[in-house]
Amino acid sequence: MNVAIIILTLSIGAYFIAIIEGWAMHGRISISRPALSALALFGRESLLARTPDRLFFESGPILLLVVGILSMAVIPLAPGLIITDLATGALFLNAALAYVLVALIMAGWGPNGGYAMIGGWRFLGQFIAYAMLIVMPITAVAMRAESLSTTIIVTSQSELWNIFYQPIGFVLFVLAAMALAWLPPLDLPNAPSDLAGGFEAEYTGARLAVLRLARMVIILAMAGAIVTFYLGGWLGPWLPAWLWSVIKMLVVTTLMLTTGRLVPRVRESDLLAAGWKLGIPLALANIFLVGVIALVVDI
Amino acid sequence: MTGSYAELFFLIFFGVAAIWFGIVVFRTHSMVRSALALLFSQTAIGAMFLVMQAEFLGVLQIMMMATEMSVMALFMVMFMMDPGGMGAMDMSHQKRLSLRAGGIGLIAALAVSWLPDWGPVANSIPDASRQVELLGIELLGRSMFVFESAGLTILTSMIAATMVAIAPRKIGEDT
Amino acid sequence: MIVELSVALSIGAGLFAVGLYGALSQTNLVMIMMGIELILAAALVNLVAFWRYLHPDVMSGQMFVLIVMTVMAVEMAVGFGIAIARFRSRGSVEMEEARELKG
Repeated sequence: MNVAIIILTLSIGAYFIAIIEGWAMHGRISISRPALSALALFGRESLLARTPDRLFFESGPILLLVVGILSMAVIPLAPGLIITDLATGALFLNAALAYVLVALIMAGWGPNGGYAMIGGWRFLGQFIAYAMLIVMPITAVAMRAESLSTTIIVTSQSELWNIFYQPIGFVLFVLAAMALAWLPPLDLPNAPSDLAGGFEAEYTGARLAVLRLARMVIILAMAGAIVTFYLGGWLGPWLPAWLWSVIKMLVVTTLMLTTGRLVPRVRESDLLAAGWKLGIPLALANIFLVGVIALVVDI
Repeated sequence: MTGSYAELFFLIFFGVAAIWFGIVVFRTHSMVRSALALLFSQTAIGAMFLVMQAEFLGVLQIMMMATEMSVMALFMVMFMMDPGGMGAMDMSHQKRLSLRAGGIGLIAALAVSWLPDWGPVANSIPDASRQVELLGIELLGRSMFVFESAGLTILTSMIAATMVAIAPRKIGEDT
Repeated sequence: MIVELSVALSIGAGLFAVGLYGALSQTNLVMIMMGIELILAAALVNLVAFWRYLHPDVMSGQMFVLIVMTVMAVEMAVGFGIAIARFRSRGSVEMEEARELKG
């Protein structure tokens, strides 16, 4: 039952994200555009590269979709409305997101094309730096909650949301979430202009539909993670719990999708330098600060 | 037989998958496939940890190995002559010696696994959240020295690897 | 006679054998390191099996596993640093060509 509700929420949420992304790209909100373009994609011809590595070419998008669904499995939408309440839920989220890297390496290497391969390896550099910036803020959040379970992390924020308690961690986590889901301005792997579409250009037809759907699910899972760890999950005054979760997730997604496009794409060397030289010391300082505050103040 | 059949079945399933992927690592000609086969072998081992109810270790293994083996795939592409495996070159030496060594190792380890009597099986395992709590207390309590020296070792190796890998800059050269 | 423990140890034995074969038979440094990774993973499987079936309430077993995982990561990092330095000076990381110190 839980699984059915969450899959339904995933589908509606993914459709909503597609609408918002269409609005950010084209400037007009059109409710039917995602459905029509998905139908068009299924009808189009599916072009294959000349000598692809078929195993990787086919399994890249599928692995990405599996990762999206797995990472949504530990996000609680309401007390008890969670697919699997693992005792190490926060760490499991990071483990599932590590396979985004594997899927993109497969998708980059599979088509046997130069630009796709460069996109895949660019994502490797981006991911390793920014996965650290996902784990370290999660460490600080788990320190406050004294548990890795996502449900307990949400209930630990009942007095003060983590965005006010740990603002540095929040900023780093949002940036890292945008880097992991390759959202603009950090969309280096599929840079539409300088890499001629990167690895996404090699996929056409039904495989492209699966790839785009998988990306929507991952963006939704990242928004769910931001809401769970920093914005208090389902906590809120008078609406039912699941409605608060959904509203918060949609607000976060809209902000991530629309404000990102206002900034030009970051250069890869600047991105990695910012991640390693600025981000990781800040994340370590965040852990230290949170530890001191948790021991001294009684929140 | 102690325990449940499900646990035994999944142990055998993930174990055979891990060994099969491990064999694929050395049999395939494509280098990237080799690295990713090692990745899936380690994922199967992480799944075995989850079956043996070491939840934290299983999730940690799955997470760490994904990133490590992807980095290994990158290094394969950098250093190997034929990363796509289209040339079908045989790059091994002393095959008989290594087969014999592997065989002797296998027989010795199997003998140690099946011959002794390991004693009574322990059936009361702390549940997963309690395990995480106990592991944290162990890390920062009794094993604090081990933990700190491991941290120092990681720091030293990070500095050492970075220093070895940075290209020496000649005097008078522009960046 | 704990069947699951013996099965898990046998899986560890199989992984060890495959890793040993790989580490001894490959000529390229990266492939040798992959064999070593398999050997260490076999050790991890054995450690977790002993922890789970014999002493599940003592957390030193899991601590040992964490240390071995640390060793795996550290050894890979330093090994690849050396590989980069070697590649930069010679142009290949084949172990057959590394005969400078041979007598």
